[in-house]
Amino acid sequence: MMSLVWKLLRQHISIAQLAGFFFANLFGMFIVLLGLQFYNDVKPLFSQEDGFLKPEYLIVSKRISGVSVLGSEESCGFSDREVADISSQPFCKSVGAFTASQYRVVCSMGVNGVAQFGTDMFFESVPDRFVDTELSSWTFSPEDGTIPIILPRTYLAIYNFGFAQSQSLPKMSEGIVGMIDMLVVLRGNGQEQRLKGKIIGFSSRLNTILVPESFIQWSNAKFAPEADLTPNRLIVEVKNPTDDAIVQYINEHNLELEDDKLDAGKATYFLRIVTVLVMCVGMLISILSFYILMLSIYLLVQKNTEKLRNLLLIGYSPVRVSLPYQILTVGMNGVVLLLSLLILYVVRSYYMDRLWVMFPQMQDGSLWPALCLGLCLFLIVSTINIVAVRNRVMKIWNRKE
Amino acid sequence: MNKIELQNTLPCVFEGREVQSEIWLQDVTFQKGETYLVEANSGTGKSSLCSYIIGYRKDYLGNIYFDGKDIRQHSVSDWTNIRKQTLSLLFQELRLFPELTAMENIDIKNGLTNHKSRKEILAWFERLGIADKQDAKIGRMSFGQQQRVAMIRALVQPFDFLMVDEPISHLDDNNSRIMAEIMMEEAQRQGAGVIVTSIGKHMELPYTKTFRL
Repeated sequence: MMSLVWKLLRQHISIAQLAGFFFANLFGMFIVLLGLQFYNDVKPLFSQEDGFLKPEYLIVSKRISGVSVLGSEESCGFSDREVADISSQPFCKSVGAFTASQYRVVCSMGVNGVAQFGTDMFFESVPDRFVDTELSSWTFSPEDGTIPIILPRTYLAIYNFGFAQSQSLPKMSEGIVGMIDMLVVLRGNGQEQRLKGKIIGFSSRLNTILVPESFIQWSNAKFAPEADLTPNRLIVEVKNPTDDAIVQYINEHNLELEDDKLDAGKATYFLRIVTVLVMCVGMLISILSFYILMLSIYLLVQKNTEKLRNLLLIGYSPVRVSLPYQILTVGMNGVVLLLSLLILYVVRSYYMDRLWVMFPQMQDGSLWPALCLGLCLFLIVSTINIVAVRNRVMKIWNRKE
Repeated sequence: MNKIELQNTLPCVFEGREVQSEIWLQDVTFQKGETYLVEANSGTGKSSLCSYIIGYRKDYLGNIYFDGKDIRQHSVSDWTNIRKQTLSLLFQELRLFPELTAMENIDIKNGLTNHKSRKEILAWFERLGIADKQDAKIGRMSFGQQQRVAMIRALVQPFDFLMVDEPISHLDDNNSRIMAEIMMEEAQRQGAGVIVTSIGKHMELPYTKTFRL
């Protein structure tokens, strides 16, 4: 019997109008969802907290001028007096020195025991209290012979793009770096020792190869007992990293701040603006398409007023005669939601693949943000549709049509 | 529902006019189980009366009561139930659906009430001489044929009162007689009251009372 009612009420349905709504809404919905989803997927890349270095920690070095490189009077290291001066500043909570290895380090890396490449390198350490990692994994003992290492994140990118790509080696994600075998050979003071290295993570704020302080102390004492340990860089814990006094002090003393946070902040800001713009456009399209749908439904009810009235007069309830149009609109909204989620899924897996290549550290993320927003929009729009159809039918009941 | 009462009822458009009527501005009671004829000249508000009683229009003065309850107080769902269970109206303008066939027009109502079997409905088509028209679109049938379909639709529901608004205006005497028979059989089976309106030719029935509108 419902099919008879439908047979009556589907008269005057304009397929063209509904198709117009359908595609416009699909397009709008997809853009809105894509905007949100992309923003959510990409945002962590910009605002990623460094796991090993708290934001209150700043890294300070001396500005290198052309002359100082050539070993003139002006040293690029920090004297005890300079360190004391920094730690006496009101913005400063504590200061730690970077200590570099003073002997020769050769390191070779490989996967599953097969050596891939080797290089000369160096190590640096900061006092352990500045490194935010589990203390148990950040220790070194000569008996155990394994050195925990934190690498700059750029190294991973260099490997993945510069090296792995050209040598057709597998790309590496942060998750599997634990599998890398690192053989470290230390030479100096007429001695040589082989040790194992273990990469425990990557930092985007440290431009150095970081090892535990205890290892540097042990190895410098063993391989370079007479070396000068003047630090080139300092790690400074400040009370408030945005304090103007810091910048002022840095400039006055011809120092440099190693920090990428500002750039990331800017990028996030632009990303947010672009996302909001894109979502606004999508929203506008959606609203217009919603308007088409409402007009179309109003027109339909208008054209079928006589039929609706007769159904009401022979005992059909307003709820019952509203139902076909409500199912029609809610059904279309539902199909639009499902389709736009489907398209989003496809598009997202495409751009996520691209992004993974560029940012192997990227989290998998999820479709939940888009799903939730889509469901919310669906519920809001469907509720308005249901109420609007019902109001139209009640107008007929009350003879206002 | 046992009685329909009109108390000082008058269509708003007649307000201030000199009205000579046995219905308007009177106290009138229609009892269940009785048969009434309301005779009228055109323009005296016959269809308005039907519209008021079915709850379609409310543009009247005075009051109308179903079993003592003012029908202005009926809710939407009250009216839906009344139109399904208590009160059936054969509209003068029929209000059939031209896009549907004769049988579909019946089904759309019978499906709501589940009151009559397909066999009973077909028997009525047969007796009214439109059995061959059951699958014809209403829009392609003559008004007289449509009147007969509308009568069947009015009967496929339980009712305490049946109002028929000029049911035989386009029927010959023989078909009028058959229609009256069928209508009265069903009304008596249900113990219902019948209110027939007419502006000239009217069904020959044992009326309890005749009103001049």
